[in-house]
Amino acid sequence: MTFVLKPLFFLGQKIVGAISGVGEIFCILFYTLRALPYAHKNVNLIVKQMVAIGVSSVPLLFVTSIFTGMVATVQADFQFRGLVSDKFVGTAACKMILIELGPLLTALVLAGRVGSALAAEIASMREKEELDAYAVLDLDPYRYLALPRFIAFFTMVPCLTIISNGLALLGGWIVSVLALDITTYTFYTGMQYLFQPMDLFAGVIKSFVFGVTIFLLGYYHGLNASAGARGVGLATKDVVVSSCLMILILDFVVAAILFQ
Amino acid sequence: MPNVKINPDDVMIKLRGLKKNFGSQSVLSDVNLDIRRGETMVIIGQSGVGKSVILKHMIGLLQPDEGEVTVDGITISTAKYFDTRTIRKKMGMLFQMGALFDSMDTGENIAFALREHHPELSEAEIQQQVTDKLKIINLVPEFRTKMPSELSGGMRKRVALARAIALSPEILLYDEPTTGLDPITSDVINDLILEMQSKLGVTSVVVTHDMVSAFKVADRIAMLYKGRIIEVGSVEEIKKTTNPFVKQFITGQRKIDSEN
Repeated sequence: MTFVLKPLFFLGQKIVGAISGVGEIFCILFYTLRALPYAHKNVNLIVKQMVAIGVSSVPLLFVTSIFTGMVATVQADFQFRGLVSDKFVGTAACKMILIELGPLLTALVLAGRVGSALAAEIASMREKEELDAYAVLDLDPYRYLALPRFIAFFTMVPCLTIISNGLALLGGWIVSVLALDITTYTFYTGMQYLFQPMDLFAGVIKSFVFGVTIFLLGYYHGLNASAGARGVGLATKDVVVSSCLMILILDFVVAAILFQ
Repeated sequence: MPNVKINPDDVMIKLRGLKKNFGSQSVLSDVNLDIRRGETMVIIGQSGVGKSVILKHMIGLLQPDEGEVTVDGITISTAKYFDTRTIRKKMGMLFQMGALFDSMDTGENIAFALREHHPELSEAEIQQQVTDKLKIINLVPEFRTKMPSELSGGMRKRVALARAIALSPEILLYDEPTTGLDPITSDVINDLILEMQSKLGVTSVVVTHDMVSAFKVADRIAMLYKGRIIEVGSVEEIKKTTNPFVKQFITGQRKIDSEN
Protein backbone atom coordinates (compact mmCIF):
# COMPACT_ATOMS: atom_id res chain seq x y z
CA MET A 1 0.00 0.00 0.00
CA THR A 2 2.81 2.35 0.96
CA PHE A 3 4.41 1.49 -2.36
CA VAL A 4 1.35 2.94 -4.15
CA LEU A 5 0.66 5.82 -1.78
CA LYS A 6 4.19 7.21 -1.60
CA PRO A 7 4.43 8.34 -5.24
CA LEU A 8 0.87 9.70 -5.05
CA PHE A 9 1.74 11.65 -1.92
CA PHE A 10 4.90 12.97 -3.58
CA LEU A 11 2.94 13.96 -6.70
CA GLY A 12 0.26 15.66 -4.60
CA GLN A 13 2.91 17.59 -2.67
CA LYS A 14 4.50 18.77 -5.93
CA ILE A 15 1.13 19.89 -7.35
CA VAL A 16 0.18 21.78 -4.19
CA GLY A 17 3.68 23.35 -4.13
CA ALA A 18 3.37 24.45 -7.75
CA ILE A 19 -0.09 25.97 -7.19
CA SER A 20 1.04 27.87 -4.09
CA GLY A 21 4.15 29.02 -6.00
CA VAL A 22 2.00 30.45 -8.80
CA GLY A 23 -0.18 32.11 -6.17
CA GLU A 24 2.86 33.63 -4.50
CA ILE A 25 4.15 34.96 -7.84
CA PHE A 26 0.82 36.70 -8.46
CA CYS A 27 0.97 38.10 -4.91
CA ILE A 28 4.42 39.56 -5.69
CA LEU A 29 2.98 41.15 -8.84
CA PHE A 30 0.00 42.51 -6.89
CA TYR A 31 2.10 44.00 -4.05
CA THR A 32 4.55 45.49 -6.56
CA LEU A 33 1.81 47.11 -8.64
CA ARG A 34 0.19 48.37 -5.42
CA ALA A 35 3.37 50.37 -4.79
CA LEU A 36 3.26 51.90 -8.30
CA PRO A 37 1.77 55.26 -7.17
CA TYR A 38 4.96 55.87 -5.12
CA ALA A 39 7.29 55.26 -8.06
CA HIS A 40 7.97 58.98 -8.57
CA LYS A 41 9.34 59.25 -5.02
CA ASN A 42 12.07 56.68 -5.71
CA VAL A 43 13.34 57.81 -9.09
CA ASN A 44 16.98 57.46 -7.96
CA LEU A 45 16.43 53.79 -7.04
CA ILE A 46 14.71 53.14 -10.39
CA VAL A 47 17.51 54.80 -12.39
CA LYS A 48 20.09 52.78 -10.46
CA GLN A 49 18.32 49.54 -11.38
CA MET A 50 17.88 50.64 -15.00
CA VAL A 51 21.63 51.14 -15.23
CA ALA A 52 22.36 47.79 -13.53
CA ILE A 53 19.87 45.85 -15.66
CA GLY A 54 19.94 47.79 -18.91
CA VAL A 55 23.12 49.75 -19.54
CA SER A 56 25.42 47.14 -17.97
CA SER A 57 23.97 44.40 -20.18
CA VAL A 58 24.75 46.19 -23.46
CA PRO A 59 28.33 44.89 -23.90
CA LEU A 60 27.23 41.27 -23.51
CA LEU A 61 24.25 41.78 -25.82
CA PHE A 62 26.50 43.49 -28.33
CA VAL A 63 28.50 40.30 -28.81
CA THR A 64 25.58 37.84 -28.66
CA SER A 65 23.39 39.92 -31.01
CA ILE A 66 26.05 40.52 -33.68
CA PHE A 67 26.90 36.82 -33.81
CA THR A 68 23.25 35.77 -33.75
CA GLY A 69 22.60 38.02 -36.75
CA MET A 70 25.62 36.60 -38.53
CA VAL A 71 24.57 32.98 -37.90
CA ALA A 72 20.97 33.66 -38.97
CA THR A 73 22.14 35.26 -42.22
CA VAL A 74 24.69 32.57 -43.03
CA GLN A 75 22.05 29.88 -42.41
CA ALA A 76 19.48 31.70 -44.57
CA ASP A 77 22.03 31.96 -47.37
CA PHE A 78 23.03 28.30 -46.99
CA GLN A 79 19.41 27.10 -47.13
CA PHE A 80 18.31 29.40 -49.99
CA ARG A 81 21.42 29.39 -52.21
CA GLY A 82 20.53 28.37 -55.73
CA LEU A 83 16.81 28.18 -54.91
CA VAL A 84 15.72 31.81 -54.59
CA SER A 85 17.14 35.26 -55.24
CA ASP A 86 19.85 36.65 -52.86
CA LYS A 87 17.34 39.30 -51.86
CA PHE A 88 15.46 36.75 -49.76
CA VAL A 89 18.46 36.25 -47.51
CA GLY A 90 17.87 39.76 -46.12
CA THR A 91 14.13 39.08 -45.92
CA ALA A 92 14.57 35.84 -43.99
CA ALA A 93 17.22 37.28 -41.66
CA CYS A 94 15.09 40.34 -40.91
CA LYS A 95 11.94 38.31 -40.19
CA MET A 96 13.79 35.77 -38.05
CA ILE A 97 15.63 38.42 -36.05
CA LEU A 98 12.74 40.81 -35.42
CA ILE A 99 10.04 38.26 -34.63
CA GLU A 100 11.97 35.52 -32.85
CA LEU A 101 15.71 35.63 -32.43
CA GLY A 102 16.08 39.20 -31.11
CA PRO A 103 13.46 39.07 -28.34
CA LEU A 104 14.07 35.43 -27.46
CA LEU A 105 17.85 35.49 -27.23
CA THR A 106 17.84 38.86 -25.44
CA ALA A 107 15.44 37.45 -22.85
CA LEU A 108 17.44 34.24 -22.42
CA VAL A 109 20.71 36.17 -22.03
CA LEU A 110 19.09 38.53 -19.51
CA ALA A 111 17.56 35.64 -17.57
CA GLY A 112 21.08 34.31 -17.12
CA ARG A 113 22.72 37.62 -16.41
CA VAL A 114 20.27 39.78 -14.46
CA GLY A 115 17.58 37.27 -13.45
CA SER A 116 20.11 35.18 -11.54
CA ALA A 117 21.69 38.32 -10.06
CA LEU A 118 18.25 39.47 -8.83
CA ALA A 119 17.56 36.12 -7.17
CA ALA A 120 21.01 36.07 -5.55
CA GLU A 121 20.63 39.65 -4.30
CA ILE A 122 17.19 39.09 -2.77
CA ALA A 123 18.24 35.73 -1.30
CA SER A 124 21.30 37.29 0.30
CA MET A 125 19.20 40.21 1.64
CA ARG A 126 16.79 37.74 3.17
CA GLU A 127 19.64 35.73 4.65
CA LYS A 128 21.18 38.85 6.21
CA GLU A 129 17.74 39.94 7.53
CA GLU A 130 17.75 43.09 5.41
CA LEU A 131 14.17 42.37 4.30
CA ASP A 132 13.10 42.12 7.93
CA ALA A 133 14.95 45.38 8.61
CA TYR A 134 12.78 47.13 6.00
CA ALA A 135 9.64 45.76 7.67
CA VAL A 136 10.84 46.72 11.16
CA LEU A 137 11.48 50.29 9.99
CA ASP A 138 7.94 50.26 8.59
CA LEU A 139 9.27 50.53 5.05
CA ASP A 140 7.50 48.45 2.40
CA PRO A 141 10.12 46.21 0.73
CA TYR A 142 7.93 46.01 -2.36
CA ARG A 143 8.12 49.77 -2.75
CA TYR A 144 11.87 50.08 -2.25
CA LEU A 145 13.16 46.77 -3.61
CA ALA A 146 10.59 45.19 -5.92
CA LEU A 147 9.11 48.22 -7.67
CA PRO A 148 12.39 49.79 -8.94
CA ARG A 149 13.48 46.40 -10.27
CA PHE A 150 10.06 45.72 -11.82
CA ILE A 151 10.09 49.06 -13.66
CA ALA A 152 13.69 48.52 -14.76
CA PHE A 153 12.92 45.05 -16.15
CA PHE A 154 9.66 46.23 -17.76
CA THR A 155 11.32 49.11 -19.59
CA MET A 156 14.87 47.89 -20.15
CA VAL A 157 14.15 44.45 -21.64
CA PRO A 158 12.20 45.96 -24.60
CA CYS A 159 14.89 48.65 -25.04
CA LEU A 160 17.61 46.01 -25.04
CA THR A 161 15.56 43.92 -27.47
CA ILE A 162 15.36 46.83 -29.91
CA ILE A 163 19.12 47.41 -29.56
CA SER A 164 19.72 43.69 -30.00
CA ASN A 165 17.55 43.65 -33.15
CA GLY A 166 19.58 46.49 -34.62
CA LEU A 167 22.89 44.85 -33.76
CA ALA A 168 21.79 41.47 -35.13
CA LEU A 169 20.75 43.09 -38.44
CA LEU A 170 24.10 44.86 -38.47
CA GLY A 171 25.84 41.49 -37.99
CA GLY A 172 23.74 40.03 -40.81
CA TRP A 173 24.63 42.87 -43.13
CA ILE A 174 28.37 42.61 -42.30
CA VAL A 175 28.51 38.89 -43.02
CA SER A 176 26.42 39.31 -46.21
CA VAL A 177 28.75 41.92 -47.63
CA LEU A 178 32.05 40.42 -46.46
CA ALA A 179 31.45 36.70 -46.81
CA LEU A 180 28.35 35.96 -48.89
CA ASP A 181 28.84 38.26 -51.87
CA ILE A 182 25.50 39.96 -51.27
CA THR A 183 25.55 43.71 -51.88
CA THR A 184 24.34 46.23 -49.33
CA TYR A 185 21.54 47.24 -51.71
CA THR A 186 20.32 43.64 -52.16
CA PHE A 187 20.40 42.95 -48.41
CA TYR A 188 18.63 46.23 -47.63
CA THR A 189 15.87 45.78 -50.23
CA GLY A 190 15.48 42.19 -49.02
CA MET A 191 14.96 43.45 -45.49
CA GLN A 192 12.27 45.84 -46.69
CA TYR A 193 10.55 43.19 -48.81
CA LEU A 194 7.61 41.60 -46.94
CA PHE A 195 8.42 43.70 -43.86
CA GLN A 196 5.39 44.54 -41.75
CA PRO A 197 5.42 46.82 -38.70
CA MET A 198 3.82 43.92 -36.80
CA ASP A 199 7.12 42.02 -37.11
CA LEU A 200 8.81 44.64 -34.96
CA PHE A 201 5.88 45.22 -32.59
CA ALA A 202 5.42 41.48 -31.98
CA GLY A 203 9.03 41.23 -30.80
CA VAL A 204 8.70 44.27 -28.56
CA ILE A 205 5.38 43.07 -27.08
CA LYS A 206 7.01 39.71 -26.32
CA SER A 207 9.92 41.45 -24.64
CA PHE A 208 7.59 43.27 -22.20
CA VAL A 209 6.16 39.88 -21.21
CA PHE A 210 9.65 38.37 -20.91
CA GLY A 211 10.87 41.29 -18.76
CA VAL A 212 8.04 40.88 -16.26
CA THR A 213 8.53 37.09 -16.26
CA ILE A 214 12.24 37.33 -15.44
CA PHE A 215 11.55 39.86 -12.66
CA LEU A 216 8.78 37.79 -11.06
CA LEU A 217 10.72 34.53 -11.14
CA GLY A 218 13.93 36.19 -9.94
CA TYR A 219 12.16 37.86 -7.02
CA TYR A 220 10.17 34.73 -6.15
CA HIS A 221 13.20 32.42 -6.13
CA GLY A 222 15.20 34.99 -4.14
CA LEU A 223 12.48 35.21 -1.48
CA ASN A 224 12.15 31.44 -1.27
CA ALA A 225 15.86 30.55 -1.26
CA SER A 226 16.91 28.13 1.46
CA ALA A 227 19.53 29.23 3.96
CA GLY A 228 23.24 29.51 3.28
CA ALA A 229 25.48 29.78 0.24
CA ARG A 230 23.95 26.57 -1.17
CA GLY A 231 20.50 28.15 -0.97
CA VAL A 232 21.65 31.19 -2.94
CA GLY A 233 23.27 28.93 -5.54
CA LEU A 234 20.12 26.85 -5.90
CA ALA A 235 17.96 29.97 -6.19
CA THR A 236 20.09 31.34 -9.05
CA LYS A 237 19.97 27.98 -10.84
CA ASP A 238 16.19 27.76 -10.36
CA VAL A 239 15.57 31.24 -11.71
CA VAL A 240 17.62 30.59 -14.86
CA VAL A 241 15.93 27.24 -15.53
CA SER A 242 12.38 28.43 -14.77
CA SER A 243 12.84 31.73 -16.66
CA CYS A 244 14.16 29.97 -19.77
CA LEU A 245 11.27 27.52 -19.71
CA MET A 246 8.66 30.23 -19.17
CA ILE A 247 10.20 32.45 -21.85
CA LEU A 248 9.97 29.64 -24.42
CA ILE A 249 6.39 28.77 -23.40
CA LEU A 250 5.26 32.40 -23.37
CA ASP A 251 7.00 33.00 -26.68
CA PHE A 252 4.72 30.40 -28.21
CA VAL A 253 1.62 31.72 -26.43
CA VAL A 254 2.19 35.36 -27.41
CA ALA A 255 3.08 34.40 -31.00
CA ALA A 256 -0.07 32.28 -31.22
CA ILE A 257 -2.17 35.22 -30.03
CA LEU A 258 -0.48 37.89 -32.20
CA PHE A 259 -0.21 35.90 -35.44
CA GLN A 260 -3.63 34.22 -35.44
CA MET B 1 22.88 46.98 36.67
CA PRO B 2 20.66 49.83 35.44
CA ASN B 3 19.21 52.30 37.88
CA VAL B 4 15.85 53.38 36.46
CA LYS B 5 12.53 53.52 38.34
CA ILE B 6 10.10 50.97 36.92
CA ASN B 7 6.45 50.53 37.80
CA PRO B 8 5.79 46.75 38.04
CA ASP B 9 2.12 47.24 37.09
CA ASP B 10 2.85 49.18 33.90
CA VAL B 11 3.28 46.39 31.36
CA MET B 12 4.54 47.41 27.91
CA ILE B 13 4.73 43.99 26.21
CA LYS B 14 2.55 41.07 27.21
CA LEU B 15 2.93 37.52 25.86
CA ARG B 16 0.19 35.04 26.67
CA GLY B 17 0.15 31.34 25.74
CA LEU B 18 2.39 31.87 22.75
CA LYS B 19 2.73 28.80 20.55
CA LYS B 20 4.75 28.51 17.36
CA ASN B 21 5.62 25.51 15.20
CA PHE B 22 7.84 25.47 12.13
CA GLY B 23 6.59 22.48 10.16
CA SER B 24 6.56 19.56 12.56
CA GLN B 25 9.05 21.23 14.92
CA SER B 26 7.53 22.91 17.96
CA VAL B 27 9.63 25.96 18.91
CA LEU B 28 7.43 27.80 21.41
CA SER B 29 4.92 25.69 23.32
CA ASP B 30 3.51 28.06 25.94
CA VAL B 31 5.33 31.35 26.46
CA ASN B 32 3.96 33.78 29.05
CA LEU B 33 5.93 36.92 29.86
CA ASP B 34 5.32 40.52 30.95
CA ILE B 35 7.82 43.24 30.09
CA ARG B 36 7.44 46.44 32.07
CA ARG B 37 7.67 49.94 30.65
CA GLY B 38 11.22 51.27 30.90
CA GLU B 39 12.87 48.02 32.00
CA THR B 40 15.53 45.97 30.27
CA MET B 41 14.39 42.38 30.07
CA VAL B 42 17.00 39.85 29.02
CA ILE B 43 15.79 36.55 27.59
CA ILE B 44 18.39 33.81 27.94
CA GLY B 45 18.45 30.27 26.65
CA GLN B 46 20.46 27.87 24.57
CA SER B 47 21.10 28.47 20.86
CA GLY B 48 18.15 27.43 18.70
CA VAL B 49 15.68 27.38 21.60
CA GLY B 50 13.52 30.12 20.05
CA LYS B 51 14.68 33.37 21.66
CA SER B 52 14.82 35.28 18.37
CA VAL B 53 11.44 33.81 17.44
CA ILE B 54 9.97 35.52 20.53
CA LEU B 55 11.49 38.86 19.45
CA LYS B 56 10.07 38.49 15.95
CA HIS B 57 6.61 37.89 17.44
CA MET B 58 6.93 41.08 19.50
CA ILE B 59 7.46 43.20 16.39
CA GLY B 60 4.98 41.35 14.18
CA LEU B 61 7.51 39.72 11.85
CA LEU B 62 6.03 36.37 12.87
CA GLN B 63 2.48 35.53 13.84
CA PRO B 64 1.84 32.93 16.58
CA ASP B 65 -0.03 29.72 15.87
CA GLU B 66 -1.83 30.28 19.18
CA GLY B 67 -1.66 32.88 21.91
CA GLU B 68 -1.53 36.65 22.12
CA VAL B 69 1.08 39.37 21.85
CA THR B 70 0.07 42.76 23.21
CA VAL B 71 2.31 45.80 22.79
CA ASP B 72 1.37 49.04 24.54
CA GLY B 73 -2.27 47.95 24.72
CA ILE B 74 -2.56 46.86 21.08
CA THR B 75 -2.90 43.14 20.39
CA ILE B 76 -0.58 42.71 17.44
CA SER B 77 -0.98 38.95 17.02
CA THR B 78 -4.41 39.62 15.51
CA ALA B 79 -3.71 43.19 14.42
CA LYS B 80 -4.79 44.79 11.22
CA TYR B 81 -2.14 46.13 8.84
CA PHE B 82 -2.66 49.63 10.25
CA ASP B 83 -2.09 48.52 13.88
CA THR B 84 1.08 46.65 12.99
CA ARG B 85 2.43 49.82 11.34
CA THR B 86 1.52 51.92 14.39
CA ILE B 87 3.35 49.51 16.67
CA ARG B 88 6.41 49.27 14.45
CA LYS B 89 6.81 53.04 14.57
CA LYS B 90 7.20 52.70 18.35
CA MET B 91 9.81 49.94 18.04
CA GLY B 92 13.36 49.57 16.87
CA MET B 93 15.30 46.37 16.41
CA LEU B 94 18.98 45.57 16.39
CA PHE B 95 19.49 42.44 14.30
CA GLN B 96 22.06 39.78 15.08
CA MET B 97 24.24 40.62 12.06
CA GLY B 98 23.23 44.28 11.96
CA ALA B 99 21.16 43.88 8.77
CA LEU B 100 22.48 47.17 7.40
CA PHE B 101 21.42 47.99 3.85
CA ASP B 102 24.57 47.02 1.96
CA SER B 103 23.95 49.34 -0.98
CA MET B 104 23.77 52.45 1.23
CA ASP B 105 26.47 54.18 3.23
CA THR B 106 26.25 54.59 7.00
CA GLY B 107 24.59 58.00 6.82
CA GLU B 108 22.00 56.79 4.30
CA ASN B 109 21.25 53.73 6.45
CA ILE B 110 20.37 56.01 9.36
CA ALA B 111 18.64 58.68 7.26
CA PHE B 112 16.58 56.35 5.06
CA ALA B 113 13.65 55.71 7.41
CA LEU B 114 13.77 59.32 8.66
CA ARG B 115 13.47 60.68 5.13
CA GLU B 116 10.58 58.37 4.28
CA HIS B 117 8.58 58.82 7.48
CA HIS B 118 9.27 62.52 8.01
CA PRO B 119 8.97 64.24 4.62
CA GLU B 120 8.48 67.53 6.49
CA LEU B 121 12.15 67.50 7.59
CA SER B 122 14.63 69.41 5.45
CA GLU B 123 17.81 67.69 4.25
CA ALA B 124 19.84 69.78 6.71
CA GLU B 125 17.63 68.63 9.60
CA ILE B 126 17.95 65.00 8.53
CA GLN B 127 21.74 65.30 8.35
CA GLN B 128 21.73 66.91 11.80
CA GLN B 129 19.72 63.97 13.14
CA VAL B 130 22.18 61.54 11.57
CA THR B 131 25.04 63.36 13.31
CA ASP B 132 23.13 63.28 16.62
CA LYS B 133 22.46 59.54 16.35
CA LEU B 134 26.10 58.87 15.49
CA LYS B 135 27.10 60.89 18.56
CA ILE B 136 24.80 58.82 20.78
CA ILE B 137 26.60 55.66 19.68
CA ASN B 138 29.98 57.39 20.11
CA LEU B 139 30.91 57.62 16.44
CA VAL B 140 32.25 60.75 14.73
CA PRO B 141 30.17 62.32 11.91
CA GLU B 142 32.87 61.33 9.35
CA PHE B 143 31.57 57.77 9.67
CA ARG B 144 28.49 58.68 7.63
CA THR B 145 30.32 58.08 4.34
CA LYS B 146 31.57 54.59 5.22
CA MET B 147 29.93 51.66 3.45
CA PRO B 148 28.76 48.73 5.64
CA SER B 149 31.41 46.48 4.02
CA GLU B 150 34.11 48.80 5.41
CA LEU B 151 32.91 48.43 9.02
CA SER B 152 34.02 45.90 11.62
CA GLY B 153 31.45 43.68 13.39
CA GLY B 154 31.23 46.00 16.41
CA MET B 155 30.92 49.12 14.23
CA ARG B 156 28.17 47.50 12.18
CA LYS B 157 26.19 46.81 15.34
CA ARG B 158 26.66 50.37 16.54
CA VAL B 159 25.50 51.80 13.21
CA ALA B 160 22.58 49.35 13.24
CA LEU B 161 21.72 50.67 16.69
CA ALA B 162 21.87 54.25 15.41
CA ARG B 163 19.48 53.23 12.62
CA ALA B 164 17.20 51.50 15.13
CA ILE B 165 16.92 54.67 17.24
CA ALA B 166 16.55 56.99 14.22
CA LEU B 167 12.78 57.11 14.60
CA SER B 168 13.03 57.61 18.38
CA PRO B 169 11.36 54.34 19.37
CA GLU B 170 9.87 53.61 22.79
CA ILE B 171 10.88 49.95 22.63
CA LEU B 172 14.20 48.51 21.49
CA LEU B 173 14.67 44.84 20.68
CA TYR B 174 18.22 43.48 20.63
CA ASP B 175 18.86 40.13 18.93
CA GLU B 176 22.15 38.70 20.23
CA PRO B 177 23.82 42.14 20.41
CA THR B 178 27.22 40.85 21.55
CA THR B 179 27.47 37.60 19.58
CA GLY B 180 30.66 37.39 17.56
CA LEU B 181 32.28 40.38 19.26
CA ASP B 182 35.42 40.44 21.41
CA PRO B 183 34.89 41.05 25.16
CA ILE B 184 35.88 44.73 25.01
CA THR B 185 33.64 45.55 22.04
CA SER B 186 30.87 43.54 23.74
CA ASP B 187 31.22 45.79 26.76
CA VAL B 188 30.95 48.87 24.54
CA ILE B 189 27.65 47.49 23.21
CA ASN B 190 26.50 46.70 26.78
CA ASP B 191 27.21 50.29 27.80
CA LEU B 192 25.24 51.52 24.80
CA ILE B 193 22.25 49.35 25.79
CA LEU B 194 22.39 50.90 29.29
CA GLU B 195 22.71 54.40 27.81
CA MET B 196 19.68 53.83 25.57
CA GLN B 197 17.68 53.07 28.69
CA SER B 198 18.99 55.95 30.79
CA LYS B 199 19.19 58.62 28.05
CA LEU B 200 16.18 57.71 25.90
CA GLY B 201 14.05 55.91 28.51
CA VAL B 202 13.31 53.02 26.19
CA THR B 203 11.92 49.64 27.14
CA SER B 204 14.46 47.04 26.03
CA VAL B 205 14.27 43.34 25.32
CA VAL B 206 17.65 41.69 24.87
CA VAL B 207 18.02 38.15 23.61
CA THR B 208 21.40 36.65 24.41
CA HIS B 209 23.32 33.67 25.71
CA ASP B 210 26.21 35.88 26.82
CA MET B 211 25.79 35.83 30.62
CA VAL B 212 28.33 38.63 31.23
CA SER B 213 26.22 40.90 29.03
CA ALA B 214 22.95 39.63 30.56
CA PHE B 215 24.08 40.33 34.14
CA LYS B 216 25.35 43.78 33.19
CA VAL B 217 22.35 45.18 31.30
CA ALA B 218 19.35 43.35 32.78
CA ASP B 219 16.73 44.63 35.18
CA ARG B 220 15.17 41.20 34.96
CA ILE B 221 16.16 37.97 33.27
CA ALA B 222 13.83 35.33 31.80
CA MET B 223 15.03 31.85 30.90
CA LEU B 224 13.52 30.08 27.90
CA TYR B 225 13.73 26.30 28.04
CA LYS B 226 11.95 23.77 25.83
CA GLY B 227 9.46 26.33 24.50
CA ARG B 228 8.51 27.81 27.90
CA ILE B 229 9.74 30.57 30.19
CA ILE B 230 10.86 28.54 33.20
CA GLU B 231 12.09 31.37 35.41
CA VAL B 232 11.86 35.16 35.60
CA GLY B 233 13.70 37.25 38.14
CA SER B 234 16.13 40.04 38.90
CA VAL B 235 19.84 39.48 38.32
CA GLU B 236 20.33 38.61 42.00
CA GLU B 237 17.38 36.23 41.99
CA ILE B 238 18.66 34.45 38.90
CA LYS B 239 22.17 34.18 40.37
CA LYS B 240 20.70 32.56 43.48
CA THR B 241 18.25 30.33 41.62
CA THR B 242 17.63 26.76 42.71
CA ASN B 243 16.22 25.75 39.34
CA PRO B 244 18.75 23.20 38.06
CA PHE B 245 18.28 24.12 34.38
CA VAL B 246 18.80 27.85 34.99
CA LYS B 247 21.75 27.09 37.24
CA GLN B 248 23.26 24.84 34.60
CA PHE B 249 22.88 27.52 31.95
CA ILE B 250 24.24 30.51 33.88
CA THR B 251 27.23 28.57 35.15
CA GLY B 252 27.89 27.00 31.74
CA GLN B 253 27.79 23.38 32.88
CA ARG B 254 27.48 20.62 30.32
CA LYS B 255 25.29 18.57 32.69
CA ILE B 256 22.88 19.72 35.38
CA ASP B 257 24.15 19.59 38.98
CA SER B 258 22.31 16.39 39.95
CA GLU B 259 24.00 14.53 37.07
CA ASN B 260 27.53 15.68 37.98
